Amino acid sequence: MSEDTFMGVPRKTIDWKPTIDYEKCNYCMECFDFCPHKVFEKREDEEIKLVVVNPLNCVVFCRACSKTCGLDALTFPNKIEVSKKIKETRAGGSSNE
Amino acid sequence: MSKKYAVLPCNGLDKCAGQMSKEIALLVCEQGASELICPVFYQVTDARYDKIAKENPLLVIDGCASRFASKLVAAKNLKIDRKLMVTEEAQKRGIQLGLEPLRLSEKEVDLCKVFVAELLKEDVDAPIAATGTSLTYPVPEDYIVYTKDKFIFRIPKAGFYFTESDCWVQLCGNLARIGVTDFVQHSLSDIMFFTPPVLDMDVEQFGEVGVIESGKAVYELVCPVSGKVKAVNNELLTAPELINQNPYEQGWIAEIELSNFSEEQDFLLTPDEYLKVLEKKVADFHVKK
Repeated sequence: MSEDTFMGVPRKTIDWKPTIDYEKCNYCMECFDFCPHKVFEKREDEEIKLVVVNPLNCVVFCRACSKTCGLDALTFPNKIEVSKKIKETRAGGSSNE
Repeated sequence: MSKKYAVLPCNGLDKCAGQMSKEIALLVCEQGASELICPVFYQVTDARYDKIAKENPLLVIDGCASRFASKLVAAKNLKIDRKLMVTEEAQKRGIQLGLEPLRLSEKEVDLCKVFVAELLKEDVDAPIAATGTSLTYPVPEDYIVYTKDKFIFRIPKAGFYFTESDCWVQLCGNLARIGVTDFVQHSLSDIMFFTPPVLDMDVEQFGEVGVIESGKAVYELVCPVSGKVKAVNNELLTAPELINQNPYEQGWIAEIELSNFSEEQDFLLTPDEYLKVLEKKVADFHVKK
């Protein structure tokens, strides 16, 4: 998955993924059940029971998992800034590795 | 006299927003002839509430993003007339609702009263006008068709550009229509609610331009172009299923006055390029299901 590109730039140069606020999360796992892209992983035997394990699988500009969260525990980067950065990366020709 | 609704609140008793949802439902019913539906009872059996729900415009009140009231409506195959989401409405006023308090204080009850006053006031005010300008957009005649199992995905061949987030734009001079592709409507399945973008709002390329919802998920529309929202497809407010029926014609979402298309075009996909993205998404989606 990680060799993918989005809008012509390598996916790995794009900072787009959910961040879990563990102060709010109650491990209801609605987001885990919802996301078909395996961005989240359950860790049932650990204290932190849900982690973002595949950030690069996260569909750029998709925030649908956060809409399943009754506690508002998932946040995403600012869409407009990310899109600006993508455009800059693309204008620069090559990716900033 | 306010409009008569069948009022269906969620039953989120473990959250402040859920308690507020119940309070709002009571306030609406007290101020008119609306009838309350108990979501717990209705979940278990149709007998008591089916007639009320089907014969009156349905006002759905969700406390939080779990959207249990909306999901119940989807399961019952009903249409939503009005909708209120308590946490979202509170956020618009800069208020973050937490889990507590479960027993509402005067402050929360006052907030509920504000929501109800606005809700009922909007019924009296005329709904927003503008269902498109007088422009005629060419009807797409030729499609690329991609089939997977029982799903048919169509991509109009001429006059459309696409984003990797499955939205389209159709140009007509300095104006353009935007909408979602067959991939979105198949993924969401029956679309039951449309929150339009605000008229005359400026939107950036890839900014949010409205929301559509099904029982399965909430989808934020990613605007393929920047510009000003000049019109909204108001038909979708009462018939969001038009997006399922034909997302490229009757299911269009909004009309945008373009501000910078020549530069932005570079970030959009042609039908052939979008087909590749679509094929990959469909393959991934099917494998991982």
